[in-house]
Amino acid sequence: MRRWRYFGYRLLLALPVVFGILILNFFLIRLAPGDAASVLAGESGAATPEYTELLRAKFGLDRPLPEQFVAYILAALQFDLGFSFRNDAPVSELVVARLGPTVLLMITAYTFALSIGTLLGLLAAVARNTWRDAVISVATLICYATPGFWLGLMLIVIFSLHLGWFPTSGFENIAEGYEGWDRVLDVARHLAMPATALGLFYLALYTRVMRASMLEQTGMDYVVTARAKGQSERRIMFGHMLRNAFLPVLTMAGVQAGNLIGGSVVVETVFGWPGIGTLAFNALQSRDLNLLLGIFFISACLVVIINLIVEILTVFLDPRIQA
Amino acid sequence: MSDTAIIRLSRRDLLLASVFVAAAPVAEAQTPTPRRGGTMVMLVHPEPSTLATYAVSAGNIPPVTTQIYEGLLTYDWDLKPAPALAKSWEIAPDGKTITFRLQEGVTFHNGQPFTSADVQYSFMEVAKKVNPNGPVILAELTSIDTPDPLTAVFNLANPAPYLMVSLSSNNMPIVCKSVFEGTQPLNNPTANRPIGTGPFKFAEWNRGQYIRLDRNDRYWKPGLPMLNRIIARFIPDAATRSAALEAGEAHYAAYSAVNAADIRRLQASPILGSTTQGYGMTAAITALEFNMRRPNLAKKEVRQAIAYAIDRQFLVDNVLYGFAKPATGPLSSVFSTSGFYTDQVRRFDVPDRIDIANRLMDEAGFPRGTDGKRMSLYLEINSFGEQWLRQGEYIKQALAQIGIDVTLRSEDTATWLRRCYTDYDYDINEPFYSAGADPVVGVHRHYVSSAIRRGTTFVNNKDYRNPELDGLMDAATREPDPARRATLYHEAQKILVEDSPGAWLCEVQYVTIFNKKLHDHTGPLGAYQALDRAWLDR
Repeated sequence: MRRWRYFGYRLLLALPVVFGILILNFFLIRLAPGDAASVLAGESGAATPEYTELLRAKFGLDRPLPEQFVAYILAALQFDLGFSFRNDAPVSELVVARLGPTVLLMITAYTFALSIGTLLGLLAAVARNTWRDAVISVATLICYATPGFWLGLMLIVIFSLHLGWFPTSGFENIAEGYEGWDRVLDVARHLAMPATALGLFYLALYTRVMRASMLEQTGMDYVVTARAKGQSERRIMFGHMLRNAFLPVLTMAGVQAGNLIGGSVVVETVFGWPGIGTLAFNALQSRDLNLLLGIFFISACLVVIINLIVEILTVFLDPRIQA
Repeated sequence: MSDTAIIRLSRRDLLLASVFVAAAPVAEAQTPTPRRGGTMVMLVHPEPSTLATYAVSAGNIPPVTTQIYEGLLTYDWDLKPAPALAKSWEIAPDGKTITFRLQEGVTFHNGQPFTSADVQYSFMEVAKKVNPNGPVILAELTSIDTPDPLTAVFNLANPAPYLMVSLSSNNMPIVCKSVFEGTQPLNNPTANRPIGTGPFKFAEWNRGQYIRLDRNDRYWKPGLPMLNRIIARFIPDAATRSAALEAGEAHYAAYSAVNAADIRRLQASPILGSTTQGYGMTAAITALEFNMRRPNLAKKEVRQAIAYAIDRQFLVDNVLYGFAKPATGPLSSVFSTSGFYTDQVRRFDVPDRIDIANRLMDEAGFPRGTDGKRMSLYLEINSFGEQWLRQGEYIKQALAQIGIDVTLRSEDTATWLRRCYTDYDYDINEPFYSAGADPVVGVHRHYVSSAIRRGTTFVNNKDYRNPELDGLMDAATREPDPARRATLYHEAQKILVEDSPGAWLCEVQYVTIFNKKLHDHTGPLGAYQALDRAWLDR
């Protein structure tokens, strides 16, 4: 019971955070010079001032700022994120359509990085200062130091162009129009390379943290005690140390949830993955402020939710934390 | 000597040369028989923001919308008018009435028959009001009469020689009146679900991924189109777009969908072909423009010196990877066929150009300082891609030779446009000019004083005012006789190059990359033309 009250309290705390983000963003993004009408008119080559004014009136950019703000907040409170004039579509529709692929990519990359990263970290810690530890350390260092876009391009060159195992880009093969399990398989084939490119950096990070964390636990009193009472090394490791060693990894993963959304822009661009990162980048470039605010809002919610999940997991791993 | 020879090649010569190059690999195969069906994938970059081609003239929209919308006319390989939705036409001797006879039995994708009322509505209510080029191209159009459903009569206040070259599906698409009537064209529900008369129907737009077009089974040209489906794919990264072509996942990429740096590599691929055909109506030129509100740039000698200091052939070879040729003035040599182009202007590609430039700078009253510098200027980097930064880096080196210290400033599109076209807070800008089918459409607005309009992008932001030039361009707008028009343009080019409100650098040559399985894909208008005859081999 107390545990659930704690989660409810955390959730309540998140509300003013999201609201603050909403207000801050509204004014911050208006500091960027130029507006959506001038960009659109610019792309059209020649446009008369009347044409630009026509667009400005259509976008509601001719109204005073406080009026725009009040209208925006009132609408946002009713979960109406407004209309993207540049894309001629409601913001919620655009964002929701992109949210699925982003979340899919994130979860896959995350799961891949966390599971393999933890495992490798564990292996390296167990076999510390042996050749296995050295191999893992060097490999993670390379992954950690390689930029995502370069890694992505190299994956395309090797696995798409030379081996032909995976498609170069996109979310699915539209020309074939797969359905049912064929479609799931098709999407999975498209997902493999972007998830790898995105996940490898974090995998390297979690491997390092896990290794250090395990080594730190080795010297703890409770490990000495467990060993003194005659428990097997295997039991000490999996029964006692693993849980404690995993906590820093999990905390770090929670903090990085936001990074993963932002960091996916590069990977999304390279693989033509229809995610929220590229949508945000294009919205910023074209000064599509309604869309940008909508994306910030949804991303903020996403980060809050992920952090909440991480906290719940943490509490289950270490019940002392909720106190 | 050989330089001039290359420049004097007419567009037709180039065309023939490229036909030969493009046709060679096809001739090797034993002329395959056209095959029906199949899905063609084309790369479009960047993803269009809207499909309202009648209200937004961004260059990445027509590859999709010209499959859906049609125009009254299309153009042949000599860029002369050819029938499209108009079967035939007559121009009255005074040039003030044009009568179009329309095709019979044409229906829109929603089943509505196509009539002269749709033509009237598309021009008077849509193009004249919301098309960004409407105020220029349709300035003289006063009304359209519809004596019967298959006849449309254009009434003009004055002759408009540029009108007949601006009626393609890309410039002036014909929309369905019953769909638009009573709505604001900009907010029309079919803006992003277009309904036209073309060979392909809009099916779906999955944003960030693709637009799907399906075959129009009731298309008015018998037996066409050949393909079942066209998919326009959007891949943001240039290297991945090239990889998609190499892997055979995409069949067609026109305009800048492929990086110039990748073209040579793609041409070597056994499954890919390339062509430079289909860009005759583009007439694209890279240039520098000078802010003449700045006291030092107000001096003609300084502007000419900058024009002398730049080695255009270097830019062609190293920045545009050979897919360009040096420009001599504000008009592209594409206009040789119409006779408008001349290279008999002040030439900046002379051997002693650096000496001349340094002398001009001295004469203008800017001697070298103790550090060898005469002045410092900012160059605003065009935000539409990496090639512009490369160009800027070269300009910096080139102008250092004549003692001008250039600082490059890169900003994003919105900021860049605002600085150069609203705030006028720049020294040198590097724009990209697309002349279109006629100089009136895309050239005049950069130089006439009536086009000095704060807040409007890609017009005369240089503050260049020359009554003589204004008069020449004004006369050329109304002159129906092609020979007399040509004389006016020759005179205008001489004046502009002498005054140098800008420095014209390179005429860009676009390249289309295609999969060899795809046939009959390139017409006179290239990617701005329906792919109704295109077909895919197995």
